Amino acid sequence: MSDATLAFVVVGMLVASCAVGQGQVLKIAFDAADLKSLDPHFAAATMDRAVVDMVFNGLVRYKPGDVTEFEPDLAESWEVSADGLVWTFRLREGVRVHPFPGAPDGYELTSQDVVFSLAKAADAARSAYSGEYVGMKVEAADTYAVRITLERALPASLFLPKVADYAGGFIIPKRAYAALADQFATHPVGTGPFRFANYVPTQRVELVRHDQYFRGLPRLAGVEVWYMPDVTARLSALSTGEIDIIEGVREQAWVDVVKRIPNLAVDVFGPGETEVLHLNMTKDPISSLLVRQAIAYAIDRTEVITAIGADVAEPLCGAVPPYLAGGLTCDEVKAAGLLYEQNLALARALLAAAGYPTGFEISANITERASYRKPFENIQAQLARVGIALKITVVDHSSFHTLIRQDVNPLVHYEAWRPSADAFLTRFYHSASIVVSGAKPDTNFSHSKSADFLIELARYELDPARQTAMWKEAQLTLLREVASYPLYVLKFVFARSAQVNYGYPLKSTLALYPQVNELTSK
Amino acid sequence: MRRLLMAIPTLLAVYTVVFLFVRVAPGDPAVAALGDYASAEAVQALRERMGLNAPLWAQYGRTLLGYLRGDLGRSLITGAPIGDQVAAVLPHTLQLTLAGVLIGALLGIPTGILTAVRRNCLPDYIGRTLGLVGLSIPAFYLGILLILAFAMNLRWFPVMGAGAFTDPWANLRHLALPALTLGIIMTSFVSRMTRSSLLNVLREDYVRTGRAKGVGERAVVYLHALRNALIPVVSVLGVQTAVLVGDSVMTEIVFSRPGLGRLMVQAMMQRDYIALQGLIVIYGAFVVAVNLITDLSYGFVDPRVRYD
Repeated sequence: MSDATLAFVVVGMLVASCAVGQGQVLKIAFDAADLKSLDPHFAAATMDRAVVDMVFNGLVRYKPGDVTEFEPDLAESWEVSADGLVWTFRLREGVRVHPFPGAPDGYELTSQDVVFSLAKAADAARSAYSGEYVGMKVEAADTYAVRITLERALPASLFLPKVADYAGGFIIPKRAYAALADQFATHPVGTGPFRFANYVPTQRVELVRHDQYFRGLPRLAGVEVWYMPDVTARLSALSTGEIDIIEGVREQAWVDVVKRIPNLAVDVFGPGETEVLHLNMTKDPISSLLVRQAIAYAIDRTEVITAIGADVAEPLCGAVPPYLAGGLTCDEVKAAGLLYEQNLALARALLAAAGYPTGFEISANITERASYRKPFENIQAQLARVGIALKITVVDHSSFHTLIRQDVNPLVHYEAWRPSADAFLTRFYHSASIVVSGAKPDTNFSHSKSADFLIELARYELDPARQTAMWKEAQLTLLREVASYPLYVLKFVFARSAQVNYGYPLKSTLALYPQVNELTSK
Repeated sequence: MRRLLMAIPTLLAVYTVVFLFVRVAPGDPAVAALGDYASAEAVQALRERMGLNAPLWAQYGRTLLGYLRGDLGRSLITGAPIGDQVAAVLPHTLQLTLAGVLIGALLGIPTGILTAVRRNCLPDYIGRTLGLVGLSIPAFYLGILLILAFAMNLRWFPVMGAGAFTDPWANLRHLALPALTLGIIMTSFVSRMTRSSLLNVLREDYVRTGRAKGVGERAVVYLHALRNALIPVVSVLGVQTAVLVGDSVMTEIVFSRPGLGRLMVQAMMQRDYIALQGLIVIYGAFVVAVNLITDLSYGFVDPRVRYD
């Protein structure tokens, strides 16, 4: 090899190494037509949570890829008083806020920003999650210390999610929010590994790496979040390499198809969303316990899961999924004699005892979304075997949410994720949450009241073992009255180019997408 | 001028109908915006902030006053100015629509002429069959077929997105397949209309007279018959141009392009009343403008047509 050739190769390698150092732009496509809000205190849909996750931080964060552990984020440490009422967080020094109009170099995040952000999270006019932050006083102890005083002590399992990188726990820099005002929902400014660069309506949001990110320079130069509601278009773009990660279809058939495509990988991960059939105990004939038991015995959740797919759906036997503290396993439910394993003869006998020997007819609305509609249609077929004719009216998703909150349906199929056992039980089964008539009408579609005492008692129980026992007992109470029939946990499905490396093992994430962080590369 | 003034009551009627209809449909924009995890207080606060608790007449008047000032309002969901959103996507929609119409005219008119002058011959059978296929095939399906053939197998064009206008080559590459999708469908409309219209004109007395006087067949068709036959074709092109702006939504979705159609569907699904009203008024204005241009173009095609 001549000297000139050698020099050429060396220069080429140097240029290539520089290119690697500069990183590449990762493109990720979601099943969405457009964004809704990139203000983290309003972001609720998957595509918005993804952008928010890359742009903002919490005081603590769920360990990337594993929602069962917390680790420091903006706070480098924290401590709690002996009575459990006062939590003090020590912030990292030198955390830089992204540049924004009026501050081209950003500024250093301090306790004032945290106080502002948590106050905003508690304000119903400026946050969708205000209900989570009542009974909490937030103040700056010094420039880098934040003190949070609770009216009633909460265990760490219920308190830390409020200040973690989820919903109201994302910290919004005060000056950036003031500078952007109404534009913040489409121009977010935070402290995360990537900062906002551009938004093209109905097409994409462009993020570039935050050069001063406190965990170090992100490996990717940027991230583009694309809005592509057609799954065929997403898969085509992934196949041609125009997109690196796509939101998939949460069905076994789709997973199997993509697994066969060379150079692509499929990620099926938790925590997933619970799929539960809520039985409205105020509507005849569902108001009869015998009828609700008959419905439970008529349904085989395994049959529904088989239709959805074993890779993407796991059995759910209690109101709280088993991977959350206080969740019930199917074995525990079976041991309590409340599994309601399918028994059509018993179901018919119960119906006859309730005065419906030939069954009855009921009507219910369901959204057009496949993850709701398909299992509901499966249940319709199963109920027909014992003479229950379920007439289904398919409506658009927005109408469905309005109608079920107006207490129209005798049966409500609902898909949800909540961050704790308390949130699941309170929002779906506490009397205050009863739709229309509750003190704080929410998503208690069954009108159950029987577990109120246990739910409230468990909320402020500081001993984790006792708290878990109370949550489990509350769920058994609900199963006894058949307030709902838990079906399964539907996991999240994404597909990616095999070249994408998340930088951590992906088991579960509350960001609801495979988190892209400073360690992600392609 | 009178025709321009007529646009005002037309647009007012469009706004009034849309204003009432979107509020009759079930669904709450506050719930749609906040998601199901939001607290009831937050939903109520957002409804208040959105102005949805105000009397209907106040909502109607406030929006109308905004329109008179040239302000389309802000999206209930994102809070972004609707005018900015329209400005961001409208060039892409217009580009796609005009490209589709252009392809339709350039392919459809010659095909229509060919099938008319060679009536009941092989070119006619082929042209009519292809036209029928073009009319029958849904845009989204045709788009997927084109993606499979030209983007995934041959790798000639990108699958998704709309190239920036600052990069004309990339912009055209991104435009090619979506424009072809709309263009093929448009070609079917135009060719059938051209054929039918030309056949009617070719039966007219003056055509027979021309032939009897020894005028050549080419001159009969292209100089005498075609201009008269094009009037209904121009009408179809005008109507279809307006329709395509709204109808291109499936093409925009399949090719992941930004566009007015996608914005409208999104606003409808989210019950974003303000955005939907604004977008439909814009769309209405576009339809009025296209109809006006179509009417005026009759004068160029047929000198007998004059407007005061």
